[in-house]
Amino acid sequence: MEELIEILEDINPEADYHTCASLIDSGILTSFELVLLVTQIQDTFGVRIPPAMIVPENFNSAQAIYRVIRQVEEDQ
Amino acid sequence: MILKKIFRLLFPLSLSVGILFLAQRLLMPKYMGQVVEGAFIEEYYNEETSHDILFLGDCEVYENISPIVLWRDYGITSYIRGSAQQLVPQSYYLLEDTLKFETPKAVVFNVSAMQQYEQENETYNRMTLDGMRWSGSKVKAIKETMTEEEHMIEYVFPILRFHSRWRELENDDLRYLFKRRQVTHNGYYMRADVRPAGEFPVARRRSDYSFDPKAWEYLEKIRMLCEEHGTLLILMKAPSLYPVWYDQWEQQIKDYAKEHQLEYINCIERSDEIGIDFSKDTYDGGLHMNVYGAEKMSRYFGEFLVGISGVEDRRTIAGEDVQNRVWKEKCEFYDQMKAAQEAEFARLGYLKQFTSEEEGGNLYEKTR
Amino acid sequence: MLLVSYDFVAFLFLLLVVYYLIPRRFQWICLLAASYLFYGWGGAFYLLYPVFTTMSTWFLAARIGRLTQQSREKSLPRQQVKKSQRRLLILGLVVNFGILAALKYFNFVVDNVNELLGAAGVLREFSHVNWLFPLGISYYTFQAMGYLIDVYYRKYEPERSLPKLALFVSFFPQMVTGPMTRFDQMRQELFTPHCYDFTNIKQGFRRILWGYFKKLVVADRLGPAILMIVSCPETYDGIYVLLGMVGYAIWMYADFAGGMDIVLGAARLFGIRLPENFEQPFFSKSLAEFWRRWHITLMTWLREYVFFPMAGSRLSRRLAKLMGRKAPVYIASVTVWLIAGIWHGASWNFVAWGMANCLVMLISQELTGLYRSFHQKFRFSNGKGYGYFQIMRTFMLFCCLEMFEYYPFEGVFKMLGSFLSSGSVRQLWDGRFGTLGFCLADLVVLAGGILLIFLADIFQRTGKLGEKLDRQPGVLQYTVVFGLFILVLITGVYGHGYDASQFIYNQF
Repeated sequence: MEELIEILEDINPEADYHTCASLIDSGILTSFELVLLVTQIQDTFGVRIPPAMIVPENFNSAQAIYRVIRQVEEDQ
Repeated sequence: MILKKIFRLLFPLSLSVGILFLAQRLLMPKYMGQVVEGAFIEEYYNEETSHDILFLGDCEVYENISPIVLWRDYGITSYIRGSAQQLVPQSYYLLEDTLKFETPKAVVFNVSAMQQYEQENETYNRMTLDGMRWSGSKVKAIKETMTEEEHMIEYVFPILRFHSRWRELENDDLRYLFKRRQVTHNGYYMRADVRPAGEFPVARRRSDYSFDPKAWEYLEKIRMLCEEHGTLLILMKAPSLYPVWYDQWEQQIKDYAKEHQLEYINCIERSDEIGIDFSKDTYDGGLHMNVYGAEKMSRYFGEFLVGISGVEDRRTIAGEDVQNRVWKEKCEFYDQMKAAQEAEFARLGYLKQFTSEEEGGNLYEKTR
Repeated sequence: MLLVSYDFVAFLFLLLVVYYLIPRRFQWICLLAASYLFYGWGGAFYLLYPVFTTMSTWFLAARIGRLTQQSREKSLPRQQVKKSQRRLLILGLVVNFGILAALKYFNFVVDNVNELLGAAGVLREFSHVNWLFPLGISYYTFQAMGYLIDVYYRKYEPERSLPKLALFVSFFPQMVTGPMTRFDQMRQELFTPHCYDFTNIKQGFRRILWGYFKKLVVADRLGPAILMIVSCPETYDGIYVLLGMVGYAIWMYADFAGGMDIVLGAARLFGIRLPENFEQPFFSKSLAEFWRRWHITLMTWLREYVFFPMAGSRLSRRLAKLMGRKAPVYIASVTVWLIAGIWHGASWNFVAWGMANCLVMLISQELTGLYRSFHQKFRFSNGKGYGYFQIMRTFMLFCCLEMFEYYPFEGVFKMLGSFLSSGSVRQLWDGRFGTLGFCLADLVVLAGGILLIFLADIFQRTGKLGEKLDRQPGVLQYTVVFGLFILVLITGVYGHGYDASQFIYNQF
């Protein structure tokens, strides 16, 4: 989780990722940053996130993102 | 409780309908200014007494025959149901409409509309049809003659057609919101100004001179309807120098009249006999008669009409006080208007009401 | 049938009565029949297009779904399943986008080929094909393909019933102008029975009226003048460039958002909620934000089905290793904007427009860090005043970018130069304004109409305007609706005396 927050802060340092639950909906993360985030996650955690999972619901909060990572890890 | 609820529902509803109705009245053209032709058809419904003769047709009837003269000189009661560019089907349905109120002894139909079946401009349709009272005849008339871009709903709710007039509302729209002023004399449109006939373009050759089958169909319908009601049908062609009335057209009408044993009076041929002087008797250079020409026409026609069985000199019949009173008023109105127009024309050289500001008198193509 | 026609209004009323009278389980069938009636109004032939798209999509999705099933039951090896599914998906995409491309872009390609041939000295010329062009084909094709891709990604199970999918592809209000929707989002709305609820009727009609107001009172009044300005740049230079720019933006917004109001309102009458396509875009503080609030469903579609898959693909990862981690994002962005551009119209203008947008977005993306430190250093930049400045800046930026749509490429810079060098307010009185066909009354109505839309958007931003209105006493609610009705009825641009005009966005 802390690793994830670090990646997020690296991309955009301006939000409180522990509490914010509308990262995509309120535009804190742009589409560009979302894609960068996905590549970073894939490199750091060594997983592959399928395009089907790249939807706003899955990336609106750090918790949600973490859940996605865990799920993908389990699947693979 | 329920009453209160119904009231609370009905009150705003009726208020809205009232507002919409008012807006519609306000926005519909009143035809009280330069263009009065749209007010003609509706005036018929104000008539108190019946008529022996009904004239049907376009401007060639409503500008060329004066029912007042027919009354004064012959005691004939008549009415003209005609409006600008009135198509044959529209004349037919106006006849149907009229027959619901009275059965005239004779119908005089002017044949000039035979040459045209489709309306070239929807404003003419509106001028003819908006004035008609709602009935099956009106619905059929609209369906038969509306242009491609028109919709029935725009006749049911004319505000849909005339809403854009909010930009050009004038005093007349308020003044005549509920009641219009009388403009015709039993359908006759008076003009006491004079514009001598001038030069006209040479008649162009046509590839086809036959009338549209639809026009024939409705002429036939008019004939049948008259027959059904025991009304005599007479065909006429008004005296006009332009637009050209082709010999080929004339022949078709003559043949039709012969086939059905109808009287057909072509006033172009008889204009000398009638006494028309095209340097004095037209107000727009030979297209339409002014009041002087129309009065001559009426006298000529009167001679012919008195011979029809059932057409009587209503002046002499005792006891018909209402009729005498009504016609006395009509005559007064007629004389007043004629005198006023004559005086104005003598003073200005044109009639203000019918002259647009920028052109000072030339309204050639306004109506036909 | 057009959304602005007597036919449509009559159609809505009739359908409404039928819809709430029949047994509820038949409601969706009623909507399907109505949708086909709506679409086939101008000629049953046009129905062939959506019917074909529906059938091919349904068939392929069902096959893909069955393969998924078989893979789960382990009756087929996973690799083989993946491969066959991919083939089916590609088949569907190629066929359906192929039809779209043939209809929309064939003549554009022909033009360009002819030009190339001409330049190469070849005398042979290919001729145009005049297709019977179905309205709104881009919308329903995109929506159907979105469904196919979703099934391929296993986001949800494919729909078994062909008629149900048919309704999803061709639900009448949205079929010709969007919004584009996702199947899992619509399934609930379309196929569950809806009870009669006066609130739906009230809100639906109110929204439709509001849409007609935007479309008939503002957009159609503004449109002809703006078209004149932007199509004769030689005549209308100087200040008219600015007038054209701003006018064009307002015109597009009133026209498109008005259309959306009609669509969403019409759907609401039947108890169906469609997603919003606009969220007060002109209050955006950056272009990126703007494109999240303007034509939202198209942008979402592109993001979901083009941008993410492209940027996340295996090829992209290899590219990232080769050219730096941002390379895939850049390539995906360029692709998205190329598609967005060409989606709007088959011409180089739109390609240029898309590329210009892309360029601005990428530059501002690169400068994000700079912006952030700027905001941190200068506190005033977080205040309200600076916010207004950002909104104005974004609006003008959008207006400038729109110029690529209506001026030829070189023209954009020339006209911008003409405005900057010789534009002056006095030019508004030099007689050219009179040629635009406005009378004073029109201008008053326009100004009032634009102001009303602006105010409504402000209210909408601080909370749902409709909900606020619903809390008011009935008399007030009724008065508002009736007043709006009268306004549209009288000052709307429709019927004789005005030329009927279609929605700009129908052609896509």
